[in-house]
Amino acid sequence: NIDPASLLPKLPRPEELKPFPTVCSTLFRGHEGRVRSLAIDPSGVWLASGGDDGTVRVWELLTGRQIWSAKIGDEEAVNAVRWRPGRDTVILSAVAGEDVYLLVPPIVDPQTDAASRELLDKGFGHATNATQALTANGARKEPVAKWTRPGSRLEDEGVLIKITLRTTVKVISWHRRGDFFSTVSPTAQKSAVAIHTLSKHLTQIPFRRLPGIPQTVQFHPSRPLFFVATQRTIRSYDLQKQELVKIIQPGARWISSFDIHPGGDNLIVGSYDRRLLWHDLDLSTRPYKTMRFHSKAIRAVKYHKGGFPLFADASDDGSLQIFHGKVVSDMMENATIVPVKVLKGHKVKSALGVMDIDWHPREPWCVSAGADGTCRLWM
Amino acid sequence: MADSDELSTRQGQVQVYFTTNSIDIELPEGKRQLLVPTDVRRYGLSQILNSESMLDTPAPIPFDFLINGTFLRTTLDEYLTANGLSSETTLNLQYVRSLIPPLYEASFEHDDWVSCVDVLSGSSTAGSWDVQGITAGNERILSGSYDGLLRVWNKSGQAITTSVSSSAGGHTSSIKSAKFISTSQIASSGLDRTIRIWKYTESEDGFTADLKPTMELYGHKGSIDSIDVHGPSNRILSASTDGSIGLWTTQKSSAPAAPAELLTSGPTAKRRKLTTSTSTPQRGPLSLMSSHTAPATAAIFNPLDSTVAYSASQDHTVRTFDLATSSLVDKRTASHPLLSLTALPGISTQLLAAGTSARHITLLDPRISAASTQVMTLRGHTNKIVSLSPDPESNYGLISGSHDGTCRVWDLRSSRQGTKDEGGGLVGEAVYVVERESQKADSRRLVGGEGIKVFGVVWDKDVGIVSAGEDKMVQINRGRGVTRAEGA
Ligand SMILES: [Mg+2]
Repeated sequence: NIDPASLLPKLPRPEELKPFPTVCSTLFRGHEGRVRSLAIDPSGVWLASGGDDGTVRVWELLTGRQIWSAKIGDEEAVNAVRWRPGRDTVILSAVAGEDVYLLVPPIVDPQTDAASRELLDKGFGHATNATQALTANGARKEPVAKWTRPGSRLEDEGVLIKITLRTTVKVISWHRRGDFFSTVSPTAQKSAVAIHTLSKHLTQIPFRRLPGIPQTVQFHPSRPLFFVATQRTIRSYDLQKQELVKIIQPGARWISSFDIHPGGDNLIVGSYDRRLLWHDLDLSTRPYKTMRFHSKAIRAVKYHKGGFPLFADASDDGSLQIFHGKVVSDMMENATIVPVKVLKGHKVKSALGVMDIDWHPREPWCVSAGADGTCRLWM
Repeated sequence: MADSDELSTRQGQVQVYFTTNSIDIELPEGKRQLLVPTDVRRYGLSQILNSESMLDTPAPIPFDFLINGTFLRTTLDEYLTANGLSSETTLNLQYVRSLIPPLYEASFEHDDWVSCVDVLSGSSTAGSWDVQGITAGNERILSGSYDGLLRVWNKSGQAITTSVSSSAGGHTSSIKSAKFISTSQIASSGLDRTIRIWKYTESEDGFTADLKPTMELYGHKGSIDSIDVHGPSNRILSASTDGSIGLWTTQKSSAPAAPAELLTSGPTAKRRKLTTSTSTPQRGPLSLMSSHTAPATAAIFNPLDSTVAYSASQDHTVRTFDLATSSLVDKRTASHPLLSLTALPGISTQLLAAGTSARHITLLDPRISAASTQVMTLRGHTNKIVSLSPDPESNYGLISGSHDGTCRVWDLRSSRQGTKDEGGGLVGEAVYVVERESQKADSRRLVGGEGIKVFGVVWDKDVGIVSAGEDKMVQINRGRGVTRAEGA
């Protein structure tokens, strides 16, 4: 008689998988109402956040001190904040209602400030006509987006560009080179997914038809692939060839979020039906591992991108779960996935818990945005 | 009969051997070995030592006792049991002058978070550079705040001056670091990426003073979170989130021109220019050493040789620079981001203490000849350690300030072997924990040190332990005798 458990591969103990975040090190208090989104800047010094109070804020990451804030939403929540990748500029993107804003917070030296403003302004003067979609028969349609100055009140605060779309924007996702970014407006039907070119102030709608309501999107970390998640599937497209490459089927009922491993061949998916799924894109379109640790919806999942084999998810049960997730280069061997820590502290408010997470660019530290109005840094 | 009597006496007693490193309180050779009751504690042992037949001290000196590197906190009997020792053992008791708790003395209230403190006293670094010196009672405390203002306080808690606002030549954003250069000069730095030099003048009666901006130093591209000064050579060191270490002069005539691209550009700068009514001379660095690959968090002069600088960084390294050539001499890598740094001078082997984001302090030997880098780890804080200062009266003491809302006093003589989980090595634990007086009434354990984070601490021989934090307070605790110099 063989004990079946003895045949299972032995997982390392969490203590052997250090370092990973274990305690709340800094609290960020200031938002009124839910914090919807947050992101650490590429230098690892600043934290940006946005929330239901219509403000976007920048904080000193280590101390929790708020350094700057701007009110960009009158009645609308700030649903997403994301930094432009790269260290040559400091540009923050944020969405409130139907508007996407590009801003240069006054936290940088004059040289970087000038470089950032110059990059934002470069697109003015490019053919404004370009910001138009052509219908099938070639007739000109109303532009899908307008790139404008947001007015002197906001411009004085460093909010320099406003891109107005047709319906509420929920997601921003940047391409690693920092010239393209994509937005998702789930209710916009055919124009739900837009790709914007910063240098040309150009907005394009890459898909005429989508098989469902888009939830979120991601650019592949190294190849010209673009991933679109609808409620049930994630499709990857070759942007150059304009063709569908793969349909990933996590088996979740309603996908909330996904992230691509920096190596490019693995993917995690979180779902409102409490599932966390790991896909090995080399192996199958079905998940390699399905995990159900949370008692409520998973709202965000994210890989560490700075060299640590870590990923995390965030849930409406108020907790974050930290995982060790080591990808091996061997095609025959699967990733080792070990849950290493549950981080608790956010209070659940009106059935909402943790809304967003991000990792530090270098250290095994993560941040979380809560429906309780706080952001937290975990070390 | 006599035999059994001796045995029963013997059972309640243990042989001890008293040693000390303090020559002035050394016992004569013949008195060092003694049979003492096993039920005595520190106090009883201290009484025995002070007695007529032993040290015969004119006034009792409270003593503490180190056995095998650990302070005795139980009876000798309990110690023997806890360590599985028989009472036949001879215990080696190293006696040191007793530690006196760093009692709370005063708090000075600010309008905003206080990021840093410094002290000017007869014994402080800047005070010692002054020919005239500072007389007792005339000590000054300098604080820098997130409101962008410097304040100089007397010991009674009166702010005798506050620096001007940005429109009159002050900092345009939060101050992160400030130091006395002399009795008449102050340097400060912060989020506005500048170092500012101030002329400090007191009125004759010492009740008011003037802080006049005399120079603005440009060169860093990120917040300048830490500066150090060396008065005799007019030098300033800076550490910036841009990763570089700056070397500057306080002398206008010998300072290079300020880099133009960092002075004015874009609407933000233009707006500021318009509202600035004064024009303070602007200068640049003598050199910028770009070596760290992540934010630099501290830069200090080697206290024994001002041509050598040490820096700490979030890139996990302590680097040694030769300032004569502005070149990197050495790099020591720790296992975690480093957020603070101080030198412990006077110890025969030179030691640096670095505070980490991982809640401990690493003691390291920066000499290139040192065989092993890490000497000891100090554990106990529950959050980032962002400020360190040596005990002015002991070669073995230091204090740390942490985002956990406490300052902790450490005595390097007390240590134990680290557990496997701690990575082994020598581990030290705090001998005292100084809490925020502003939080005393509230017993809740605050998440992430919210509201009580300590940002800066300095230990001055005359003024005491001066700490600053998120509670908008500068807090003073007694510092004398908290740890005690050997042979003092
Ligand atoms: Mg594989």
